[in-house]
Order: sequence, then structure tokens, then C-alpha cells
Amino acid sequence: MRLSPVLASLANVFKIPLSKSTITPTTGTRSFSTTNALLKRKGNAPRGDRRVTLIRYFLWHPLTPRPLRFSRTRFLRHWTIHRAWQLFQAQQRRAHQLELQRQWQAMQGACEELRVGAGDGGKLFRKSMNKKGIFRDLFPIEYGRMQTEAPSREGWNHEWKRMEKK
Amino acid sequence: MAHCERAAKPLLQCLQKSYTKGLPGLQVQATRAFQTTAIAREEAQTETKSQPFHKSPDPALVSSPRLERRLLRQGISPIGSRRRRAALETSPNIPFEQLPYQCFQEARNILQADREEKLKDIVTIREKIARLEAVPTEQAGGLQVKNSKLVAMNLHLDHLKVLADVNDPLVKKKFEDGQGDMSKPIYRYLADKKWREYRRKILVQRITQMKVIPDVLPHCDPVVDTKLYFGRTATQPGEFVNSRVSATTPKLDVQLFERGEKLVTIAVVDSDIPNVEKDGFDYRTHYLAVNVPISATSTKVDLSKLSSESQVVLPWMAPTAQKGSPYHRLSVFIMEQKDAKPLNVADIKAKETDRSKTLRTLQARYHLKAIGAHLFRTQWDETMEEVMRENGYSDVDMELRRKRVEPLPYKRRNPSTFR
Repeated sequence: MRLSPVLASLANVFKIPLSKSTITPTTGTRSFSTTNALLKRKGNAPRGDRRVTLIRYFLWHPLTPRPLRFSRTRFLRHWTIHRAWQLFQAQQRRAHQLELQRQWQAMQGACEELRVGAGDGGKLFRKSMNKKGIFRDLFPIEYGRMQTEAPSREGWNHEWKRMEKK
Repeated sequence: MAHCERAAKPLLQCLQKSYTKGLPGLQVQATRAFQTTAIAREEAQTETKSQPFHKSPDPALVSSPRLERRLLRQGISPIGSRRRRAALETSPNIPFEQLPYQCFQEARNILQADREEKLKDIVTIREKIARLEAVPTEQAGGLQVKNSKLVAMNLHLDHLKVLADVNDPLVKKKFEDGQGDMSKPIYRYLADKKWREYRRKILVQRITQMKVIPDVLPHCDPVVDTKLYFGRTATQPGEFVNSRVSATTPKLDVQLFERGEKLVTIAVVDSDIPNVEKDGFDYRTHYLAVNVPISATSTKVDLSKLSSESQVVLPWMAPTAQKGSPYHRLSVFIMEQKDAKPLNVADIKAKETDRSKTLRTLQARYHLKAIGAHLFRTQWDETMEEVMRENGYSDVDMELRRKRVEPLPYKRRNPSTFR
């Protein structure tokens, strides 16, 4: 009884007993090899990781520029400039921080003066600290409208009026 | 270096002007006028001016094979490669910090200004420290307050000293060439950083993975760089050392990264001596020396050259491993003595005659603190038998075997859950 391979595999799945000659492969050499038959065929041999192949391709491509190499003194000069730039930026950051701190402290001093030195029992200070009527839950104003890909054609909506509060 | 910079400043300005004019000939002249540092070379040049170059060639500049041969016949070997010499011959040879690159010079100006500022800070904090020291303790708010203030200020001072020099390219270059002067804080700082980047990590990994740390001492935070040499070859931490090699007394290179001198105790301990009776392992001290002075500049300690009267308590004993025993870990510990005070050697010699005492006992008894560690291993090899016989060990012919563990009787696995 010879069946087509499809039928044979189906018979195998459904455990239908067949004569032994149909299931076992006919060629003797194949049973010794552990290589998958599809892989063994020419052109289908395993080529390793595709990503590694690509990296190798682009890394050794003649159009890839060579790595940056400096001579000893050139590197030292580069390092000097780099350190100076870092130092300069750090100085700028520090100056900015100090300026902000100064401003904040000046503001706080003024408030304290208002609270203590105005002579009205701190009424003015309390008034000034009152946040009523100030838009408080802040979010970026551009999120207050529908986001678009490009600015609108007329650019400004002159007819817009603030909503009346009821 | 400072005075030569000051001298070169007008020259530099002249050079920059010549740059703007764009006269290459003038520029070359200006750069030629620059050679202020290489005094020795200039002298050599004045000599060559009186004599043509081919009569008395300069070993740093000669590049033609014929002149090289003539120099070699005179017994002077040319300096550097021929390529380098040929390049030097045509280069104006400007010192590094005066190289005429605008961005580089601007960067140097910024770094210099920062350094001046740091130096000013150092002066002020020194004055502060002096003022605080002059104040009597009661006015300063008690001894503890005063001391903590002083310690904090001294730490800040050390930090400033490092910061003043850390951006100097020449310091970096010198350190990379291995010419750093370890008596200066900046080079100590750089060396410490380099050590902590790789070598210390390896060391700590080895001594923790091989369980030296809980086995020999409960805790060790290495702060000194320790290298171990048998003969002239350095041993990596945890390496297997041939028994013939380790029969000789090793040398140590203990690099301290702090100022001042320390007195240390050096101990080499084998923590894997098999003990058949108790079915466990014993300790053996292979070497013990006390009162060894180390500092940042004097790092070499030759364990065989320490004085046997005033330093060595237990002389070197060749490490051994019996056949069949697992490898032996020999750990070297550098331990700081309290307050850098010398220990009384005669007392210790009288007391510590027993080599099987643990290091923990010693540490507790003499108030030692482990500041450095190293580790090597030994196992049975071809020369071990000879070494053991030479050093008078007993049981050389004995081989240790693992006891065969009898397998448990077969039990049919048929509990109720299987049914």
C-alpha cells in the first residue's frame, strides 16, 4: 500500500496503522544525517545572525569613514578644550543659579517687609498672597485648542471672545 | 614654567598678529623665536651653528642612515624612531602650552583663570584653619565641634588642591607617562582613580568570590594598591602559583594614596589546611611582619629583606598543598596599626609562635585594620613533592581521597499521588 506523503502524515496523526514501508524513508543515507533537508540544500545554508552581517557590511564598507584618531598632543589639546568648555558651562550654570537665588531671596525679603513693616497687621501681605481670581491650574496654552499639523490660514481668530461666566 | 610663559606672552601676541597678516614667512620666524624651554637643545644648536650638521649630528634630529651610522660609531645611539627624528627636524618645536591654536589658547586662559581662583580659595581656607586653630577650645564650642570643623576644612582644602591641578594637560600627560610625583596630591588622586576603575574591582571580586573575606577576616575595604611579585613577575589576584616559584619569599608593592607614613602589619595566611580528624580546614600563618613603614613615595616592601629582629615575627614558609586536597587560598593582608604606633616586637615574638592562630585573633589583639589585600592560590603540582621535602613537611607521600558517599537504597516511588 503506497500513499502520497500527505496522506501518510495524516495517517500518522490519526494513528491509522499502515504498513511499515510507507513511513520509513526509502533512502538509507538520509536517516543518518541530522541536518534538516531544507537547510542542507544549496543556498539555504545558515548564514548566522542577520544583524551581525549587516553591521559587518556597513562597518567595513569603503564609504564608511575611518575612526577618529588623534595624535598624542592633538588629543591633549582636544582634552584641554573639552575640559575648559565643561568648566565654562559649569560656571555659567552656577552664576545662573546664584542669580535666581538672589532674586528669590529679594522677593521673599520684600514680602516679609510687607508683612511685618507695613504696620497694618499684615493685611496687605495677606491680600497680596491671595490667589483668588488667578488662573491656577496651569497647562501649556497651546494645548487649549485642537492640535493641527500646520498653522491656520488666517493666523489669528479676531472674532474670538472670552466665554461669559454664569 | 610660569616665568617662561610670562616671557613668551609678547611673542605669542606677535605670533597672533602675524597670523592675521597672513605672512607665512613672518610666522615661521616668530615660531622659531619661540624656543625658550629646550635650553639644552638650543645649546646643541648653537654648537651646530659653529659646525655644520653633518660634522656633529644631533642624536635627537639625525635622520639619514649615513649620519646615524657615524653617531653609532661614536657610541651615541640616536633618540626615538627615524620617522620621529625626521619630523622633529622640520618642525618648529614649540612647547605644548604655547601651541598657536586659538581655541586651545582660549581654553588655556579659562583654565588658568580657574586655577588662580582655586589658589586664592586655598589661601583663604588655610587662613581660616589657622584662625580656628588659634581660637581656644572653649570659645570654639567644645573639642568635638572644633575638631569636626577642622576635619571638614582640611578635607575641603585637599579637594581644592586636587581641583587646582586636575585640568592641567601637562599634569595629565605626566601621569600617563608614569612620571607623576606621588608626593603631590593631584598625582595621588589620579592614581587612586585609575586603580579604583579596574584593578581594585578585580581584587574585590576575587577576594569575595573565593570567600577570603568571610573566611579569613570578616571585612576588608582595600584602600591601598597591592601588587605581589615572585622574583620579577607580578601575580594577578587569585592566580595559581607554581610551588617552586612560591617557595621564594615574595616582594610587595604597596601604593598608598594618602599623605603621610603608615606603619602596617603584613600577614600571609593559608586558610585551607585540611584537617582529617575534624573533617574540616585549619589556618596557617605563612608570614607575619609588623612595623613596616609605607608611604605614598616608598612603596616597595621586600618581605625577605625586612629586619628579622625588629619586624619579622614569623618568617616565610613555603606554601604547600597535599596531593588530593582542594586548592589552597593564600591571602596577603596589609593591616594598618592603630595611630601609626609601633608594636612591641619582642612581646609579639614571644606570644605569636603558633602559626595555626587565625588572623581574626591577631586583628582583635593588636587593634589592626585591614587596608589592603592580595590573594594567590597553590595546588599540587610536579615540584610540590620536592618543595615539601626540602621544607620538612610530614606526610609528603600521603594522598587525600574523598570519602565515597554510599548511595541511598533504592526506594520504589509509588506514593499515593502517583496512583
